[in-house]
Amino acid sequence: MLKRLLEYVGFEPGRFQARWISGSEGAKFTTTIKDMTEKIKSLGPNKKMRDDIV
Amino acid sequence: MDVIQQLREQAKKLLEEKKVDLVIGFGQGTELARTTPVFIDSPEGVSALTWGPFCANNLAKYLTDYKNAEGNVAVVVKGCDARSVIRLLDDNQISRDKVVVIGVPCPGQLEWQKVAAEVKPGASLKETADNGESFSVKTDAGDYSFNKKDYMLHRCLVCENPNPVIADITIGKELPVKTYEERFAEVSELEQKSTEDKSAYWDKQFSRCLRCYACRNVCSVCTCQICVFDQMLPMWVSKRTNLSENTMFHITRAFHVAGRCVDCGECDRVCPMDIPLRKLNQKIHKDLGDLFDSPTPGSKPGIPSALGEFSPGDPEEFM
Repeated sequence: MLKRLLEYVGFEPGRFQARWISGSEGAKFTTTIKDMTEKIKSLGPNKKMRDDIV
Repeated sequence: MDVIQQLREQAKKLLEEKKVDLVIGFGQGTELARTTPVFIDSPEGVSALTWGPFCANNLAKYLTDYKNAEGNVAVVVKGCDARSVIRLLDDNQISRDKVVVIGVPCPGQLEWQKVAAEVKPGASLKETADNGESFSVKTDAGDYSFNKKDYMLHRCLVCENPNPVIADITIGKELPVKTYEERFAEVSELEQKSTEDKSAYWDKQFSRCLRCYACRNVCSVCTCQICVFDQMLPMWVSKRTNLSENTMFHITRAFHVAGRCVDCGECDRVCPMDIPLRKLNQKIHKDLGDLFDSPTPGSKPGIPSALGEFSPGDPEEFM
């Protein structure tokens, strides 16, 4: 719901991600973080809701 | 006998028989096209009550002010306001035995600014009537007719519950219920736009926000004793009025009422900067319907809040 709302107000799809990872799922954690950093890098710096934009 | 007369009689009866100690209803405001909430505690006062196409306020909000007061309260509600009453009952904010709900089927409410722009200033109201496609407004400075399509509040054009969904006393005739396929037309249109366009659209809206908190104050489901936006320790949202903080405020506000918002549209109506807040809430309503098959909160008693309940069939996009 929140993800949809954020995308509705103009955040890029993928900027906000949520995953459920159990403490025993080490491999899932690594792949998720890898995917996430790749996605964020491709999106570039966030432009919305920044303190330096007044 | 017309609705106003019946309303006054019922209110008088309730007060005389001591069934309630207070009646909250609509009273004529200082301007022709406006009403003001009235709080009546004696049978002699009931003549202040009125009804018509200028009763946009959601009076159910006031019920929470009296939840710890001694005695019972009667409240005049439209269809949309009745959803608030159900939601407040389901949230255990008010107790059913302390509230008498006077329901009035509502043919829609006019936008007072649009009416005030047409009517001669200083004129006083004589009579209003619903003619199906339009409202006729009789004043001492002539008669007017306002067609619903152009003059009604936006929210009333896709009204889901013209008849109160909860009422102890119903005054006036039940109205036909229509279903509107295009209920979320505006939301869908905005959803289709590109990320940049959506961002630009909302930046334009949020940057105008004064942070007056009228939207929060008027909201019937904003019932927190200490509001997250007032709290200083920790200060979840800064008090600074800039685009970044305003965006934070609006997303948080909309999400705090997600699953409980009854779509009464009051936040949108009271916004002094005309920020289309209902478009945010409606986005959530649309998603709740799509993902959880959830009806509008408050439209039936006892429906659990989609976000307050777990069921094994819930979509799990984050797994």
